Amino acid sequence: MQKLPLMQAKAGMVLARDVFRGNSPTGMPICGKDTLLTDALIARLENMDVQSVSVQGHPVWEEGELSYDDLQRELDRRFEKTIQDPLNAILYDIHKAHLIKSMEGEGGRQEE
Amino acid sequence: MDDKRSELKKIIMDTKTLPTLPGVINKLNSLSDNDKASVQEMAKVVTSDQVLSARILRLANSPSYGFYRVSTISNAMILLGVNVVKSLALSSSIFEIMEKNSVGLWEHSLGVGVAANLLARRLKLPECEEIATAALLHDIGKVIVSIKCNEAEKEILKLVRDRGFYIREAEREVLDTDHAEVGGWLAKSWFLPDKLSEPVAFHHDVVKSENHRIKTSVVHIADVLIKASGFGNSGDCHVPKIQQVAWDTLKLNEQVLSDVVDEIEDKLVEVKNFSLEMIGS
Ligand SMILES: [Fe+2]
Ligand SMILES: [Fe+2]
Repeated sequence: MQKLPLMQAKAGMVLARDVFRGNSPTGMPICGKDTLLTDALIARLENMDVQSVSVQGHPVWEEGELSYDDLQRELDRRFEKTIQDPLNAILYDIHKAHLIKSMEGEGGRQEE
Repeated sequence: MDDKRSELKKIIMDTKTLPTLPGVINKLNSLSDNDKASVQEMAKVVTSDQVLSARILRLANSPSYGFYRVSTISNAMILLGVNVVKSLALSSSIFEIMEKNSVGLWEHSLGVGVAANLLARRLKLPECEEIATAALLHDIGKVIVSIKCNEAEKEILKLVRDRGFYIREAEREVLDTDHAEVGGWLAKSWFLPDKLSEPVAFHHDVVKSENHRIKTSVVHIADVLIKASGFGNSGDCHVPKIQQVAWDTLKLNEQVLSDVVDEIEDKLVEVKNFSLEMIGS
């Protein structure tokens, strides 16, 4: 799953999460997950002040964006001084799990 | 206090070159001590400063506060409460001081503000806005060190780069004080309440916080979380140790931490855009 500013959303991407008005779960729901984005739908979301959407896979790779391996290496480097500490080790594991989750369905890139 | 440090304190706190808070903030603070000051009166004070009003409205609508669609100051006062607006007014002034100095540090601070807010909400703590404001302010001492001790700052950064020191260790080595203490001095000179100045002064040494240890703990943990995310640039590239006393004070556990990290990572995408937008304008 990847969270994108609406500007970067493109027709053909598939929503990984429900979208609510005003980007808040207390707002009115606009469309559900698994919806296929179209240009018309994106325009509608724009009009409803939606600022970002979560889509399946990891469809947008920005220039300079790090690969999973690079991200993993950076995470290790940030924690290198304190990983032996039990509390920091908990935090490290959480981040590592998050990293894996954020890259899930990476193959989505090829669907375009 | 030994000579070097008191000498430095004098230099640092020389008010002629210290960033000041706009008069509006002081006016607001004096009004708030008087409970009878009406919301309208406070709104009038804020509205008299157009730049400040605009910033408050942008912040009120920003992802770091999680509110949305607030279009006038009196609405903001009614919807968000007087304390929130006071916090926002202060935040916007901090923003102005920080953006001029370092975008990386501003991003770090905004990130810690977001993280502190989410953590405080998740733990259902009172005064979440004050906690977020203290978090936004927590590294303000770094700005002061940079403005006032430019040469020393170079030495500090060199120690960090070449010898792998944490910023704070390097500051202690070179200045005999650190940005947390300096930030605490500054907060005092601005007459900010203890609930803001304590978290600033003790975010790297929670055990020293006596009256507002919960708030200080939140700011400490939020700082660690944002460093773990690698968001912004605090100057430190290593995640500091989570202080046991902060963990215990907040009764944290793995589940809470994991939920909050998820929420933070989610929010940071928006914050990144917001921060770019604010800096671009
Ligand atoms: Fe700090
Ligand atoms: Fe920090």
